[in-house]
Amino acid sequence: MSTEPPDDTDQGLALHHITVRFGGLLALDDVSLQVAPGRVVGIIGPNGAGKTTLFNVICGFVGPQSGSLTLDGKPFRPRPHHLTRRGIARTLQGVGQFGGMTVLENVLVGARSRKAEADAWAALERCGVAEHARALPGSLPYAKRKRVELARALASKPRILMLDEPAGGLDTEEIRWLAELIQGAQTTVLLVEHHMELVMSVCDEILVLDFGKPIALGTPGEIRTNEKVAEAYLGAAA
Amino acid sequence: MTVVRDRVTTRIASPPMRRRLSPLLVVVAGAAIVVALTYTLPPFRTYQLATVGAYLCVTAGLTVLTGLNGQLSLGHGALMATGAYTLALWQNKFNLLAVGIVVAVLVTTAVGAVIGLAAARLRGPYLAGLTLAVAVVVPSITSTFDETFNSDQGLSVILNPPPESLTVEQWQAWLCWGAALVTVFVLALLTRGRFGRDMRAVRDDETAARLAGISIARTQVAAFVVSAACAGLGGALFAVMAQSVSPGAFPLTLSLFLLMAIVIGGLGRLSGALIGAVLLVALPAVAHEIGEAAGSQRLEGNLALTFFGVVLVVVMLAAPGGLASLRPFKKKGHR
Repeated sequence: MSTEPPDDTDQGLALHHITVRFGGLLALDDVSLQVAPGRVVGIIGPNGAGKTTLFNVICGFVGPQSGSLTLDGKPFRPRPHHLTRRGIARTLQGVGQFGGMTVLENVLVGARSRKAEADAWAALERCGVAEHARALPGSLPYAKRKRVELARALASKPRILMLDEPAGGLDTEEIRWLAELIQGAQTTVLLVEHHMELVMSVCDEILVLDFGKPIALGTPGEIRTNEKVAEAYLGAAA
Repeated sequence: MTVVRDRVTTRIASPPMRRRLSPLLVVVAGAAIVVALTYTLPPFRTYQLATVGAYLCVTAGLTVLTGLNGQLSLGHGALMATGAYTLALWQNKFNLLAVGIVVAVLVTTAVGAVIGLAAARLRGPYLAGLTLAVAVVVPSITSTFDETFNSDQGLSVILNPPPESLTVEQWQAWLCWGAALVTVFVLALLTRGRFGRDMRAVRDDETAARLAGISIARTQVAAFVVSAACAGLGGALFAVMAQSVSPGAFPLTLSLFLLMAIVIGGLGRLSGALIGAVLLVALPAVAHEIGEAAGSQRLEGNLALTFFGVVLVVVMLAAPGGLASLRPFKKKGHR
């Protein structure tokens, strides 16, 4: 396992010794991670392991008590509404949508370039929801709504795409589609997910957290055979 | 990319797409109707028409703030007072009406920016409390600085006589509706573009909006500033029509009436703001006539509020989206 501080000279996003406490709860304990450009990195762990907290640190929703972030080797102090400018887009657990706006408008909100409309339509096409462009998200099935949220993230043309439990509530067919999308994303992807089959099939590298502590980092094959990971998921008896 | 979009647009032809009227077309048609009405209505009705125009400036701005951005303001009466007093002070010194209206708007915009900065940090009942305090405090300033504002007596407004070819009421209607149509035009353009989308995104889900690159505070302050400017314009027009301003013209109930009017009309819709403006003139007039028929001035004073309350309850039961949402053949789930 390698959870040593990453090399600052590397391109991409790096987390250095990130520690987050909520009162007496240690949510993240000295987490370091290097996310190289173009890689798909999964972050897994049992419930309450700190996966979403880690995402919130990268997005600037939570400030770490100690540790730092770098983007392309330069210090990075994230602020949520500046993320898209830095080429980072994130989806939320569930469906964070603008219920009073059409699907097209939802995606247009994410597209902030001069060619916003073209980018939005391209993202809608890519996510297979262009035919619902004039519908309200609330009138669509859950899986389609998840696609709309994904389209909004893609419309900003991110170089780092952060997906927070994108497979939650989806059926097998939808998860297969999602896997294809991630593999063909041609961008860096950070994936927090409980669906192990999806994680193992799309990720180049996986970080495993348990009670906020990194317990393993490696390829899917390495993680699959890691005893600490099995113990964290199945208990000491495993 | 255009090819992709055209292909997709063709494919989605089946959902009923609401055709939006061109703002310019609406303004031109509105102007023609107003001019025609000013030559056909009797003077008192023409005066009421002018009042609707002045109210429309305020309700249009308020519906953008509350309906599209989700910020509740109970203090728009105070912002109107700011515009009205600024115009009165300007006119009494310089007597240049066009410039005076612009100055009134600018001053109210500045006041709105200050309130907006505080409002952007507050949510729900706390925001309502702040704006309520503004509604209560601003009129009392006239008593504190009575040398400038002449306390409860208020100020008279010096105005040049209207052009000879127009009656006073016609001139007032043209002025108020000219301002109202410009306001509606500008707001329609603003709310259809990125600013409008950003405001609605902030209203619907702040976290998702921030992640999409929207500054919540900046959007909320901008919405408050735009809305304050509209309220200042409306207040200045009321000062012109009444040729006087006093704190009694901008009571707390005015702010409540404005809010009820846009809810009944249809929150977030400029057409709803128009309906609200009409109600703001029509319901007190009906209450006045009933009060007169009953021979009770006290009854008349309370009837307008009662009417608004009853209409609000009935409309919310029959059409939760407000009167402007009542569209024949409208299908649910699409807009």
